[in-house]
Amino acid sequence: MASVLSFKDVSKSYKRGKENVAVLDHFNLEIAENDFVAVMGPSGSGKTTLLNLIGGLDRPSSGEVTVAGERLDLLSGSGLSHWRARHVGFIFQFYNLMPTLSAERNVELPLLLTSLSAGERRRKVAAALELVGLCDRGKHKPGELSGGEQQRVAIARALIADPAILVCDEPTGDLDRHTAEEILGLLQTLNRNYRKTIIMVTHDPKAASHASRQLYVDKGRLVDGAAQAVA
Amino acid sequence: MKYVPLIWSGIWRKRGRSILIMLQVLIAFLLFGLLQGMKSGIDQAIAETRADILIVHGRQGMAESLPLAHLPGIRAIPGVKAVYIQNFLVGAYQKPTQQILADAIDPNPTWAQYPGLVVSKADLEAMTRTRTGALASVTLARKYSWKVGDRIPLKSGLRQKDGSSDWTFEIVGTFAETEHLGLDEAILINNGYLNEARADGGQNTVHHYIVLADDPRQVSAVAQAIDDHFANSVDETRTEPLREYAQSSFQSLGDLNFVVRSVVGAVFFALLFAVGAMMMQSLHERTPELAVLKTLGFSDHKIFWIILLETSVLCVVAALLGLGCAALIFPLARSYLHGVSMPYTVLAAGIGLAVVLALISAALPAWRGMRLQVAEALAAR
Repeated sequence: MASVLSFKDVSKSYKRGKENVAVLDHFNLEIAENDFVAVMGPSGSGKTTLLNLIGGLDRPSSGEVTVAGERLDLLSGSGLSHWRARHVGFIFQFYNLMPTLSAERNVELPLLLTSLSAGERRRKVAAALELVGLCDRGKHKPGELSGGEQQRVAIARALIADPAILVCDEPTGDLDRHTAEEILGLLQTLNRNYRKTIIMVTHDPKAASHASRQLYVDKGRLVDGAAQAVA
Repeated sequence: MKYVPLIWSGIWRKRGRSILIMLQVLIAFLLFGLLQGMKSGIDQAIAETRADILIVHGRQGMAESLPLAHLPGIRAIPGVKAVYIQNFLVGAYQKPTQQILADAIDPNPTWAQYPGLVVSKADLEAMTRTRTGALASVTLARKYSWKVGDRIPLKSGLRQKDGSSDWTFEIVGTFAETEHLGLDEAILINNGYLNEARADGGQNTVHHYIVLADDPRQVSAVAQAIDDHFANSVDETRTEPLREYAQSSFQSLGDLNFVVRSVVGAVFFALLFAVGAMMMQSLHERTPELAVLKTLGFSDHKIFWIILLETSVLCVVAALLGLGCAALIFPLARSYLHGVSMPYTVLAAGIGLAVVLALISAALPAWRGMRLQVAEALAAR
């Protein structure tokens, strides 16, 4: 299957005071289209940095990052913004919804960057909310929704622009087991039925078991032999 | 338009704080509207004052009367088209609160051409025939339901020779104003009657003369000629174009320009910091939300404009409310300054000022929002 994501000798370091802290160290990775990958590892291992690079939220210090056919390390800030709007959807642990906007308006946000008419945007929002099972909660603000419902709104928002890749940072980290299972089931559906490539950072082995393969990151490197398909 | 809900929700994220800031902006623009409106209104009223009218009064000022005998001399000055005498009597009609100005004139036919006054020759003739005759302003006639033939008593501080303070006039007609002359609550009476009956020793004097010039461009020369004509006489004159006279009258209220600039400047300077501080605080609180917008693909420039527009909408809406309140309150100020109205340019200037205020106070927060690093902002959550 064709590769949707490729990291070639990618390093990423941050300045902390006068110190240079290496987070990813000559990192190499290939992820195929329609894959569902769980990224695991201890805190500070570089998982979130990896996710930020995949999602075009950050640039590598060195190396090549190619996602959905685009060299992200070569794109400008506005180029990355434009790329993110078209190719990637983000799902966060704490949902990161706009508290003053209704669920519908939250889901609509990525479509504001398109040339779609208000009517077309409304239709797409309704379809996305229906897909996540929240068609009757569109008028509610995030504060009026449960954690699971908020995460579903966040998933609808991530899906609305029909990106090829979904990047999930601990999507079930703030949810109870039952709700977490529902959300993970929904992600599996999106992966299997809608052919979305999903890259999910998690600490939870049970959550990771829903992925088709698991990667282990430690001290900025892929741990040997970790890339194994889950049967 | 599609960003309106996002911008609107950003404004009302902290309802209480936004309302307080809006109140600050509203009050500042209310003040601006009233002060600037008054200043511009006065400027406009002065600019609209006819350029062909002169006012002739005593050399020492309006308190000094002039002899009636000056009339032929003034009339003979080259460039003078018409001369009108002006004397006054103020009296209470039925109650002390019903004060009426009786403007004493010589009811000759030239009054039919008096600028800004509509009076028929027939009514002037009727006034000439009736010594105690009076022409009532249409406003007053309507207000007190006066009709021709009615006798109007006025109790005045100016006594008659027989010691009476009661003056009685007979309504013989009406007049109307087409421009503001300050006569909308007045009657025109015969100066001959006032001159003869008054007991204050002011016989054969006039309060001032109004001169209509042939050519508006020659008013300064005509004024000089009148003053030269009476120079070294017992009753020297001072003649001013009405526009200059109006200007100096308004200036006697104080240096409005200085007051307006000082008050408005101080208020806006303080407002700049208040709005700027609010936006900085708001930006600080919303850092994660702005980071999420950037994550979704909103570019740095879009974030910059969203913050700028948010502040602009808040400032412009509050400013419009403030200017609206000023426009509603302005008629109260008009009762003290006749003929002054708030020009639309004040509204336009107010909106422009609101936008400038918003742009300056939001520039730093917007720039910081634009420079926000998504990964760092999300990590800080």
